[in-house]
Amino acid sequence: MTAATAPHAEGAGRATALRLGGLSVRVRHRTLLAVLGSLAALAAVALWSAATGSTALGLERVWDALTGQGTKGDEFILWELRLPRLATGIAVGACMGLSGALFQNLTRNPLGSPDILGLTQGATSGALVAIILTASSLQLTTVFAAAGALATGLLIWALTRGGDPSGYRLVLVGIGVAAILAGVNGYLLTRTSIVDAFRAVYWLTGDLSGRDWDQAGAVAIVLAAGIAVVAVLSRSLDALRLGEATATGLGVRVGASRMIALVTASILTAGAVAVAGPLAFVALAAPHIAARLTGSTRSLLCSGAIGALIVTAADMIAVAGIGERQLPTGVVTGVLGGVYLIWLLIAQRKKGVM
Amino acid sequence: MTASPLAAQDATIGYGRVAISEGLNVDIPEGEFTVILGPNACGKSTLLKALARMLKPSAGRVLLDGKDIHSQPTRAVARRLGLLPQSPIAPDGITVADLVARGRYPHQGILRQWSPEDERVVAEVMAATDITELAARGVDELSGGQRQRVWIAMVLAQQTPLLLLDEPTTYLDITHQIEVLDLCAKLHREGRTLVAVLHDLNQAARYATHLIAMRDGAVVAEGAPADIVTAETVREVFDLPCRIIADPESGTPLVIPSARARDLV
Repeated sequence: MTAATAPHAEGAGRATALRLGGLSVRVRHRTLLAVLGSLAALAAVALWSAATGSTALGLERVWDALTGQGTKGDEFILWELRLPRLATGIAVGACMGLSGALFQNLTRNPLGSPDILGLTQGATSGALVAIILTASSLQLTTVFAAAGALATGLLIWALTRGGDPSGYRLVLVGIGVAAILAGVNGYLLTRTSIVDAFRAVYWLTGDLSGRDWDQAGAVAIVLAAGIAVVAVLSRSLDALRLGEATATGLGVRVGASRMIALVTASILTAGAVAVAGPLAFVALAAPHIAARLTGSTRSLLCSGAIGALIVTAADMIAVAGIGERQLPTGVVTGVLGGVYLIWLLIAQRKKGVM
Repeated sequence: MTASPLAAQDATIGYGRVAISEGLNVDIPEGEFTVILGPNACGKSTLLKALARMLKPSAGRVLLDGKDIHSQPTRAVARRLGLLPQSPIAPDGITVADLVARGRYPHQGILRQWSPEDERVVAEVMAATDITELAARGVDELSGGQRQRVWIAMVLAQQTPLLLLDEPTTYLDITHQIEVLDLCAKLHREGRTLVAVLHDLNQAARYATHLIAMRDGAVVAEGAPADIVTAETVREVFDLPCRIIADPESGTPLVIPSARARDLV
């Protein structure tokens, strides 16, 4: 393997091409640093979450339980309670970060997120139908929510297909769909008993408590599939950022690439929201944070890593809670994300960027 | 059949259900610098878009190397034909070298992202377009003329024998217009086949080796500038009474609009 630094490598564009025979992969230094940094932060937060909580284990007991030398009680707490919740949070956050980055790429709009485009509302409709009309289990809620988000994504694709290819159309159609679904959701909530309405509102807030390995595994599969598609698609998406006309000239299959990206983003959202509820703001904030860290809006994978970090950190705070009371994870992501975004906008205004 | 590398054959092209041109037949001659001319909304950009496979004819065909362009893999087409659209978008903060490198897309794959050949070609086209010293600069910091040279370099990095340019001089001041056209002329001399849409008749007459004049979606005249640029054709295509004199610099036809033209017609 040889590593060659491009001759024009300077400043933000510094990159290295790793070559092995006829194969070559190009890595931007700052992106690599940002991804590794967020993964390291994620590992630290995850370890800290595992070691603290209602029963403080401490790092030593966590290590013992991980390596099979701990007590039965410690191993139960770690393997059956904390690790599945952590794994679910990481996978859910990564799915949301990735889907947010894909949507922002597709719409060329910094507000293009599943929350704005109606996918979250679609998932909510599905979950409400399951909770209220069928008085169902968590499993059925999960399936219905996933179906709701996915159906909304496909609907938006069908409605925007073949028209004006600019991102505005996608955003406006999405906002329209979101408004309709918000109305439907309001209607569904008024049609229900107070007990179901409470369960529904709790789901709507988004939470990770009580998640098990099955749910973690399901989201992890969605995430793995999403990462695989993004790896294949990222070069086409990159070219699409030069405009549809230039991308066509470069040999990108524009329509197919956009369709695959939209469907992938919808599946990622569906998987994440189905398991954790619509954790507010993660999909919107993660790509912006990733863009600031990498100095490039291209880094989809970094956005995924940041999403995982946000959800894991928010869940750690949620478990610590206020006083004795734990919080739903969605409350913390919403507050964290909102504060961060406002701080970001103020900081950028001070620097004269916006 | 002609041996033209790029041709429209009985093509009906337009947007949605609105046809701009019907039954259009155009042959782009190999090795020439073809300029498509005509008044606003005559269908010249539409024709270029159809030739660049951005628009699919609702009837008829566009042929690249004798085969329907839409039946060929778009990446293979991108290695034969490069396109500079009218308003390409430079992502925020992208550097010149990064943007030019995007032109290598049709030669790359997931596992072949940046070969020594890519590196060599990018350096070569940056030298050819005289932007090597701008490599690390942000595209958004450049002047209009420099930016256009960067975009042309990106298209050149595709290494295609055919180049299509949609109004490459629009929005540029006269100095930069000439700079871009001189670059086009150099690319033509090096053996490429160029097709450009231009607004300025006199520039077209000076730089093109083949002209296609359009009006209302149809080709009115085509041929060498010396044969095509006559007072009659200009009146027919642009409704503009004029005199033609020889360009004192190049000897090519120079269109001088008649004084008080509009009042007299």
